[in-house]
Amino acid sequence: MSFEKNYGNPELEEKLRDRSFYTTDSNPEFLKEVEKISRTDAHMCFQCGSCTGGCPSAPRSSYRIRLFMRKVVLGLEEEALTDPDLWLCTTCYTCTDRCPRNLAPTDVIMALRNLAARRDIIPKNFLKTVQAIYKTGHGVPNNDANRAARVKLGLTPEPETTAGHPEFIPGIQKIIDHYGLKDRADRILAEGE
Amino acid sequence: MHEYAFFLGCIAPNRYPGCEASAIKTSEKVGIKLLPLKGGSCCPAPGAFGSIDLNIWYAMAARNVCLAEEMGKDIALICNGCYKSIYEVNEILKNNDELRDGANEVLAEIDMEFKGSIDVWHLIELYYDSEICGVEKIRNSITRPLTGVKIAPHYGCHLLKPAKERHFGNAENPMWFEELIDALGAESVQYKNKMQCCGAGGGVRGYDLSQALDITNEKLINVQEVGADVLTEFCPFCQLQYDRGQVEIKETFGKEYNLPVLHYNELLGLAQGMSPDELALDLHAVDCKPFLDMIL
Ligand code: SF4
Ligand code: SF4
Repeated sequence: MSFEKNYGNPELEEKLRDRSFYTTDSNPEFLKEVEKISRTDAHMCFQCGSCTGGCPSAPRSSYRIRLFMRKVVLGLEEEALTDPDLWLCTTCYTCTDRCPRNLAPTDVIMALRNLAARRDIIPKNFLKTVQAIYKTGHGVPNNDANRAARVKLGLTPEPETTAGHPEFIPGIQKIIDHYGLKDRADRILAEGE
Repeated sequence: MHEYAFFLGCIAPNRYPGCEASAIKTSEKVGIKLLPLKGGSCCPAPGAFGSIDLNIWYAMAARNVCLAEEMGKDIALICNGCYKSIYEVNEILKNNDELRDGANEVLAEIDMEFKGSIDVWHLIELYYDSEICGVEKIRNSITRPLTGVKIAPHYGCHLLKPAKERHFGNAENPMWFEELIDALGAESVQYKNKMQCCGAGGGVRGYDLSQALDITNEKLINVQEVGADVLTEFCPFCQLQYDRGQVEIKETFGKEYNLPVLHYNELLGLAQGMSPDELALDLHAVDCKPFLDMIL
């Protein structure tokens, strides 16, 4: 993908340069990276807006999936990754089903979130889920009221998951540690306090 | 008997154990045996884990698949969120050498290997599949028809979308869940924007609760408009969002619906003669009694 049209005439190119979009912080590598992680050809987006039109988050916030698609194509990395709206996608995949270009805007959002996370931009509740899973294997762990209810139903107080078989938890911790995610979650949450 | 490794996830066993108990009991009556899958973890939550790093999401979900591979059984599960993680990662890793090798490199550290030898199913699709069970078999298993109850279907998102990577085809206006509801002797009802998300997914419930609740509220308005007695789904996370969400909506927006929300397995259990006590319906935040009074 080239970002500037090339007419072989520097004077003309300077005149035609799109100053409102190709700002200095435009990073051409950004699109490639997003396309690799999302496994969708984001540059094929022709800005029809079908995605925003069916998005459940759009009518009640400033979140606009079409805008994120445009920012990706234009390489506006900084703007895209630091926008708090990035985290308002419910990943319902309605936009992906309806995109006439057969793109997966939802997966573009997931890729952007992955790239934001590399800069430690991650909502707290996501990190708390990581901590819970590291400790118990569950994002939503068991509790006493639930144990009592399970017994009444004829179930074991702990389910057959890592809760009932904690010997599986070290394996899970090894996977998370492979990515250093537990330490990062602890650090980011501590810094935010 | 068709046998499956039963992947539980988190919310069913740890918040709505009636979903787990009813899955085991109802499936047995229609020729499906759910075997315990020992050591399963969180799927892991596609919103939280997938958003942070897709690679760790692949590796964690693959570990769960490996447990079933070791049993030599396909997986059956009862949650759309789990379906997203377990089904999708299974398919991705089967078809993408680079990503599979990446996941297996990590799994090797705990002496596991993703082989791609099994398939993953949502129990509701096995119920609908006439080669495994089918609507007729469900209908014939009923001893206490839910006569006169108007039930609104909520399909949720991740079993059907993205449609090109799922089994049910176009997801704009499916009607198969209605067939399964009608088979209980109940009357399924249609409502505006039926396919809209519950609002909880993608981490939004935790990130911005009022945003999530506003989406839920819109669904509840549409469901109430057509006079539904019950809302049913096949996802404990959607269930949590609609059930506990109604309490939160009352606190946040001052609106009250008192609409009982039940997993299809719970409804099927009741229709097959299970008692409310066998389903732990008292753990639901919204009182199920008005609905139970209609059928008991
Ligand atoms: S629907 Fe597809 S082509 Fe249209 S604006 Fe959205 S991503 Fe672009
Ligand atoms: S997947 Fe995200 S961006 Fe797409 S329609 Fe749903 S909430 Fe909107």
